[in-house]
Amino acid sequence: MRVVSVSGTRGSGKTTLIRELIAHFNTRNKNSAVIVNEEGQAVYDADFVLSHDITLEYIRGG
Amino acid sequence: MGCSLASSLVALKKRLKRNLDPDLLFIEPSEMVVTRELRDVASMGLRDIHYETGPFITLLDGPLFEFLWSERKALLLGHVKDADLVAVSRVDLLEDHELKHIGNLLKDHCHGWIPLSTHNGTGVTEVVNLMA
Repeated sequence: MRVVSVSGTRGSGKTTLIRELIAHFNTRNKNSAVIVNEEGQAVYDADFVLSHDITLEYIRGG
Repeated sequence: MGCSLASSLVALKKRLKRNLDPDLLFIEPSEMVVTRELRDVASMGLRDIHYETGPFITLLDGPLFEFLWSERKALLLGHVKDADLVAVSRVDLLEDHELKHIGNLLKDHCHGWIPLSTHNGTGVTEVVNLMA
């Protein structure tokens, strides 16, 4: 397991970049999990999570 | 980042490692968490499980950079400091002279940075290569 952190201010594109990377590595048979603060939870829609077989965990305040 | 939050994050990492062991675990913290804190939490988790850490990527919002640099510079510097990769994001919305101006403001604070746009693909290969 490799832990990759993406930090930045709200709206800087953290979720968008992570989604891009998940999709890229998913095509190479690499599976992903995401720990996201609650602000970002709405952006990982169910279709994306299911289609890329992602495990999604939320952390409050982090 | 407070002690309880750091502990929760470490516990979550351990659980994911033990139960699923994904190839990649992405951490998307709130904007108030700086890179040094993320590195410290990564080190804490390594005390009793094994995983690879990094890269630690920092995104700087290109279109809002000048405003954020004037209003929240300490926070931005906290994101930049100790990062493996600094990327100025959403560069498809910037003119060349605006990007150059951001570069001038950043030059004393980080060794290098890349322009990034997931909209047109700029810089994505560099990020992927860093993870390879």
